[in-house]
Amino acid sequence: MPEIKVTPLGAGQDVGRSCILVSIGGKNIMLDCGMHMGFNDDRRFPDFSYITQNGRLTEFLDCVIISHFHLDHCGALPFMSEMVGYDGPIYMTHPTKAICPILLEDFRKITVDKKGETNFFTSQMIKDCMKKVVPLNLHQTVQVDDELEIKAYYAGHVLGAAMVHIKVGSESVVYTGDYNMTPDRHLGAAWIDKCRPDMLISESTYATTIRDSKRCRERDFLKKVHESIERGGKVLIPVFALGRAQELCILLETFWERMNLKAPIYFSTGLTEKANHYYKLFITWTNQKIRKTFVQRNMFEFKHIKPFDRSYADNPGPMVVFATPGMLHAGQSLQIFKKWAGNEKNMVIMPGYCVQGTIGHKILNGQRKLEMEGRATLDVKLQVEYMSFSAHADAKGIMQLIRMAEPRNMLLVHGEAAKMEFLKGKIEQEFSIDCYMPANGETTTVTTNPSVPVDISLNLLKREMALGGPLPDPKKPRAMHGTLIMKENSLKLVSSEQALKELGLNEHQLRFTCRVQLQDPHSDNDTLHRIYTHLKSVLKGYTIQHLPDGTVMVESIVIKVSSSAEDANTKVLLLSWSYQDEDLGSFLSTLLKKGLPSGLC
Amino acid sequence: MDEPECDDVLDDWFIESLKTYKDLYVYQLECPTKVIEWTSGRTVCVAGYGSSKNEILELRLPPKLFANENKGLCAERDFKVVHGGFTDGPVHCLKHVPGTRCVVSNDGRSSELQVWELGGEDSDVIRRTGSVAGRSVVSEGGSRIAARLSSQPQVLHGARSGDVQLTELTSGQPLYKLETDSADPLSSLQFVTDAVFLACCCNGNVYIADTRTAAAPQLSPPPVSSGESVLWWTDASSGSSCLDPTSCRIVRLSSSGQAVISDLRNQREAASQAQLDVQSHHCNLDDVTVSWAPALDGCIAVSGFSGAVQIYNTSVWRTELQEAQPLFQHRGHTVSSQPDDGVFVTSHVWHPERPRTLLSAASDGSVHVWDWVDQSAGS
Repeated sequence: MPEIKVTPLGAGQDVGRSCILVSIGGKNIMLDCGMHMGFNDDRRFPDFSYITQNGRLTEFLDCVIISHFHLDHCGALPFMSEMVGYDGPIYMTHPTKAICPILLEDFRKITVDKKGETNFFTSQMIKDCMKKVVPLNLHQTVQVDDELEIKAYYAGHVLGAAMVHIKVGSESVVYTGDYNMTPDRHLGAAWIDKCRPDMLISESTYATTIRDSKRCRERDFLKKVHESIERGGKVLIPVFALGRAQELCILLETFWERMNLKAPIYFSTGLTEKANHYYKLFITWTNQKIRKTFVQRNMFEFKHIKPFDRSYADNPGPMVVFATPGMLHAGQSLQIFKKWAGNEKNMVIMPGYCVQGTIGHKILNGQRKLEMEGRATLDVKLQVEYMSFSAHADAKGIMQLIRMAEPRNMLLVHGEAAKMEFLKGKIEQEFSIDCYMPANGETTTVTTNPSVPVDISLNLLKREMALGGPLPDPKKPRAMHGTLIMKENSLKLVSSEQALKELGLNEHQLRFTCRVQLQDPHSDNDTLHRIYTHLKSVLKGYTIQHLPDGTVMVESIVIKVSSSAEDANTKVLLLSWSYQDEDLGSFLSTLLKKGLPSGLC
Repeated sequence: MDEPECDDVLDDWFIESLKTYKDLYVYQLECPTKVIEWTSGRTVCVAGYGSSKNEILELRLPPKLFANENKGLCAERDFKVVHGGFTDGPVHCLKHVPGTRCVVSNDGRSSELQVWELGGEDSDVIRRTGSVAGRSVVSEGGSRIAARLSSQPQVLHGARSGDVQLTELTSGQPLYKLETDSADPLSSLQFVTDAVFLACCCNGNVYIADTRTAAAPQLSPPPVSSGESVLWWTDASSGSSCLDPTSCRIVRLSSSGQAVISDLRNQREAASQAQLDVQSHHCNLDDVTVSWAPALDGCIAVSGFSGAVQIYNTSVWRTELQEAQPLFQHRGHTVSSQPDDGVFVTSHVWHPERPRTLLSAASDGSVHVWDWVDQSAGS
């Protein structure tokens, strides 16, 4: 039976890293290759031994697909491709391809330089890995090989995030990666057509939550910034690049305008350089409506937001600064942080996750004394605020996506089965589909019922219709007689005659004959008639005819009676049938050998 | 979903909210609820009221709301659906049985109660474990329910003053029956002590009964009101002020907006009253909630007349009927919906300990958690 197999790699119940293996139609695909940010040893990498115990992965995988640039989805990619070994294609969208290597390099620097790790990928490995990347455009079908095709859909969530549709023959799977169903300021909502995949694979991390509205998160942000500014404090917002930074800038700009605030807002030069580059990427990636908004609001055309100069950090009075990098691990944001950390009127707002080893990570864990270079300690007196702006789908979002795609089966990864029984029940009830929740390392096998499209010749169709009987009913299968021709990639169903003609063969008819001896004192005609009556009573439902030419026909079987030359009471029955009626013919000959019952008239 | 034109209104209200709320969380359920019931200090139950299948959900409030010293370091603002289950009908009334993981619900169509087990750590499914028959079969309206902590789980229920009964949950045995001659439809049932409860009727009658005695209940008639055929809702203040059962203050609110405070001990004397500013929205028995603040002396919250929840300080009210202005109005549900939708608040509850924290739900499925700022208080 055709099957699709899905195995989330990893161990036990750990969440925080995505790497899923899918086997479909004889193809093996790896979906995402994330790093587990919580571990410092080999547990942070996915367990590739499931694929092969030793050696390279190239011959075992047909392709690797990366959904977006977050490290828990791509952080282990250079390790997989360069240290374990994989030379096949790696698919991702254009923005992901542009941003991934930057994040990976940052991550590598922090892990190796700051934490002194040794078993880690190098800068060169990141570069070599990215050489294997084949970029994807939205809604464009890409042939990985003759049989495997993939297509990317818009997922929202972050710049370049995609959901991917994978098809082999008539079986298909959709993997969502991370997505959101409510539009953001700078990102739309995920969208997919009614592609009816055999399986929809989704994360379940947020499946059992109900998300607080985006406006309330924004409100919290504005409130915090406003409170700091009002008491004369300075606010540092470390950001990565375009996207979230742009969104927060627009928010502050609107707020400053509404409240007639005078305190200066700056963004650092590091941001400016990156912004141009990402701006272009961004514009080609987003949809029409968002493109319009951003055309009106070029990054450098804010009224209240100006480029930063490092000397401004010492200026007195309140101000807000957006600076890179986002985790306070180096560069300008760290420099500014060091200057401002000692004053409790100041504030730092961290808008996202920080990797272990960074200052960002430490202060988010409540550390108030930091060790800096040269054994100096920094007292953290400023207010630390952690805000999560990332867009994720919640319980309602998952239901909306299922409604959109109409999958035949649902599979949720990264959740504890016991904690998701309600959601499973809800999905099964509302959509009448099965919902699977494999643990990490566990394989789910789902049998599919692929439909094989066959063209039927018009003549054959007409002939079947002419046979009469009830109208075709999709629920009631009907046997028909024809020949299936498989030529090139198509399947045709034609009548036997047509098939023989196409093949240039002559049609042969096979008929069987057999003689049965019968003792019957009547005349030939009477005997024939008695046979007719007998058969009519036994074979109800069959077409039995007594023909004027002196034969009885049962379907296509012909019965003739003649008397034996020696004895007029010994009748010889000649039975003849075509091979199609073999069963009936055998039955009749056996039946007639038993003789005719007395009492027949 | 496109940005609606009311985005501006939203913006104005939101910007104002920076000063008027300490905390504000806005959620959207798939289906609206008319019940919000505390099942612990951090969890509430909500349930749908659609005509056929509905969900019951136990939601855990966002950790950020409760993080005190390290509030800045907590980014979690979401509700967590800790348990969920399915009902066969609407849920019009839902009460938690204190000391258990059990809730009891009524569908508003009959007097039968459904009993549910909320589930523990090992499963997230809310299961129906049984039912409790009403004292009499009622074809319309629905039962009110009340419960308090007791060694054997018990539930007080009834749809009219003539069919109130205290039933033991496990056995289904009736332990007490309220004997009155009347059959007034109830707007609520409420325990004021372990043994004393109020059966509040929508005609304004309040029966005060003691489950330990067979004596007839006391009757507190409704206040004099100007309007005819008004509906009345009642709430009694609970907590430490009510150790003496007869020193309870009750508030009675009419569908014309008249609110009357009185003392159970001394019912003839109207303690104070006020005419509240409620819009003339046609309200049903189920829609309106009036409640005392558990941790804010003298304050009540009123909802169900419109899309707002109003907070009033009753300690400044006098014995003569005068108009009162709300101390605070939560208009969040109205501003975030389309103007023509006629959104109204279906339910609200106070947090049992945090003085100014409330939860409110509206007919469009929204649920808000808010901690308001008392701007009238100095500094």
